Amino acid sequence: MSQLNYRTINIDALDPESSTNFPMESLLPANLPQAASASDAASAATQVRQMLRGGDPEGALQTVLDTAPLGGDDRAKEVHLATVIDVLQGIRQGEMTRILEGVCSGDGGAERADCLMKYLYKGMSSSASGSGAQSPKKSVSPQATGFSQIQARNLGEGGGGQQMSVLLSWHEKLVEIAGTGSIVRVMTDRRTV
Amino acid sequence: MSQSLRPYLHVRSSLTAALTISNFASQASERHNTPQVEARDSPELLLNPLHISRNENEKVFIEPSRNSVRVSIRIKQADEIEHILVHKFTRFLTQRAESFFILRRKPVEGFDISFLITNFHTEKMLTHKLIDFVIEFMEEVDKEISEMKLFLNARARFVAESFLTPFD
Repeated sequence: MSQLNYRTINIDALDPESSTNFPMESLLPANLPQAASASDAASAATQVRQMLRGGDPEGALQTVLDTAPLGGDDRAKEVHLATVIDVLQGIRQGEMTRILEGVCSGDGGAERADCLMKYLYKGMSSSASGSGAQSPKKSVSPQATGFSQIQARNLGEGGGGQQMSVLLSWHEKLVEIAGTGSIVRVMTDRRTV
Repeated sequence: MSQSLRPYLHVRSSLTAALTISNFASQASERHNTPQVEARDSPELLLNPLHISRNENEKVFIEPSRNSVRVSIRIKQADEIEHILVHKFTRFLTQRAESFFILRRKPVEGFDISFLITNFHTEKMLTHKLIDFVIEFMEEVDKEISEMKLFLNARARFVAESFLTPFD
């Protein structure tokens, strides 16, 4: 015990009443849908892809947003994110506004808009970090000069630019329809996608 | 609006949403008031962070919290010269962080420059002008870096020419 430096102990973490140990589960609503597994997400994905191939992009987008695994585990969320991005990329630029208006109106339209906004932000964050980790690190200098104060990083036009521009144009259209409030709800909603 | 300026629109709407902050004193100690995004006292005070990325090398990361927002920018660097220029440029700015008020002294890991906007800043200054400042910074910094690169190349050529004239 004498070796332990007591000044470095975070006593707040040991106090159950402390704000550090705030129970985050209490911020989730009680009526959260049943936890979905990765296989559920995969079966939803096949259904949605069929609709997309069948020439019903509006229905596909609506279904994919309605079946979002808000209570699922990370694996299910990842599978579902890939489906949503596929649907978004499968819709042509000219049709975006019409489809968005259809999806964001009617019963539960506002929830679908918020859900889509969550996926847009998640899509931009995950693929940015995911492809960055996978891409091989290319050396910047032809030879090691050995005087660099700055850490190495891969330069050049990054990958995933195509997907980003799709997500960005969806984001722009969605902000026009759903407004800034939708972004605020993405930030504050603890039911992440 | 030109095609190249459109991504900044997304940042504007996201920042407008994120900058809805107000005063919040520490829950743990009396008369303390810290930006929660830095102190991370309680998980309930931190909101979901937002990424806005144009591609892997150009992105903005917004971390909102109850009383403060951290905005981190990754500036485009196409080659090694731009990499060095960005490093020098951001170093110059961060060393003078007091005169910029919202500038963070050290960028968040993986980004080139960070701003920390607290409720005191939004109380003293106009929120939409703060957003304008961040957007303008993003627009200007790309221009500045490519200008500096051109200037550097021109100067290098001139120096090389005048150095080699005696051997002509």
